[in-house]
Amino acid sequence: MQQSALSRGLITCHCCNKPAHLRHEGQKCNRCGTRLHARIPNSLTYTWALLVASAAMLLPANLLPIMTFKSLGQGDPATIMQGVIQLLEHDMLWIALVVLTASIIIPLLKIVGLVILLLTVQMGWTTNVHQKMLMYRFVEWIGRWSMLDIFVVAILAAIVQLGNLASVVGNTGATAFAAAVILTMLAANSFDTRLIWDKHLELSEADT
Amino acid sequence: MTKQDDQLIQPEKFWICSECDLLLNRCAVPDQFEAHCPRCQSTLVASKHRSIERTLALAIAGLILFFPANLFPILSLNALGLSQSETIFTSVKALYDSHLYAVSGLVLLSAIVVPLFKLLLLIYLSSCLLLHKPAPLLSWAMKSYQQMDSWGMLEIYMLGILVSIIKLVDVAEVTPGIGLYSLTGLIITTLLTSTQLDKHRFWRRIEQLERRTCNNQR
Ligand SMILES: [Zn+2]
Repeated sequence: MQQSALSRGLITCHCCNKPAHLRHEGQKCNRCGTRLHARIPNSLTYTWALLVASAAMLLPANLLPIMTFKSLGQGDPATIMQGVIQLLEHDMLWIALVVLTASIIIPLLKIVGLVILLLTVQMGWTTNVHQKMLMYRFVEWIGRWSMLDIFVVAILAAIVQLGNLASVVGNTGATAFAAAVILTMLAANSFDTRLIWDKHLELSEADT
Repeated sequence: MTKQDDQLIQPEKFWICSECDLLLNRCAVPDQFEAHCPRCQSTLVASKHRSIERTLALAIAGLILFFPANLFPILSLNALGLSQSETIFTSVKALYDSHLYAVSGLVLLSAIVVPLFKLLLLIYLSSCLLLHKPAPLLSWAMKSYQQMDSWGMLEIYMLGILVSIIKLVDVAEVTPGIGLYSLTGLIITTLLTSTQLDKHRFWRRIEQLERRTCNNQR
């Protein structure tokens, strides 16, 4: 028989994993002092809010230029997509794919993935719970890799400073893009996977 | 089950899966074995052999590598007699000079401050735990380490270096510097540390040490 710890009045510290009796919300863990909650408070609301914010940031992140590459005084500001196209024009297919994946596909997949997880809890789509957990782990793990393009801009801006010969400067799009990455990372952190299993148990009990 | 029965449950006798909240009877996990949640397959306990000693050794090695990785150039660019080299810090400064203050702060945090802080916290923690020495702020240090874990992004910085090299191949000659080799070493030690760190053992030791300080004060 599977039962959730909460149904027996036990909760676990999210920081140090020490189990304890649930006395009241916000009691302190007697090992590490973290405030304990049965579930992350307002998990769904926070995750939705952070997701909407990061989706809103993705627009300027992709429309505004993130860097200007000037060689011999010539060169225009380029967006992420233009950077990918430039790589393709130089026959660097693989590296273009890496950049495209990290900066455009992954952020979109993360947002879609988290929306599906949120709807799973809210609408009770709890078939394939295991698939949903895999999805969450993927979203959580992959999120940081989107910082790739920001680092590329930083490295190029530092190294390509050859006066009139060649120079790179960063543009505002980078700020929007970094904000989008951070917001999706925070969104993944504020989502409480235990809610999926709560819903799953609730629905399977209703069936029997 | 009534409410009163639940009050008699001893929390120490259970594991609770932190991802799916499944309640499990606690059992001993032998050295070098892992316990996974039967329902959602997340890792409950991953017991590591000589976890504290190895964490300390790896963190010290990482700290030693941290300095050349940050002080020596990672890449140098040569074109028509002009040359320019890059360290992690100059890449932060270049963003600052482009007026991208927030982004440069973010790169500073994720590529320099957080990795350094993680190493220092691990050295402090594992040396105190190894010597059984009660010390202040142990649980604070462990907590901070866990919270910082996903904000250190050296391996992604490394991928950024590779992409930059390939982007510059047509433009100029790029040569790797000592910094790049040290950075590679630092990334490997950081990744090894996170596989060797046995969170549960660390927390149990911290609890023991803090209990001892409490008793001494009485
Ligand atoms: Zn589980």
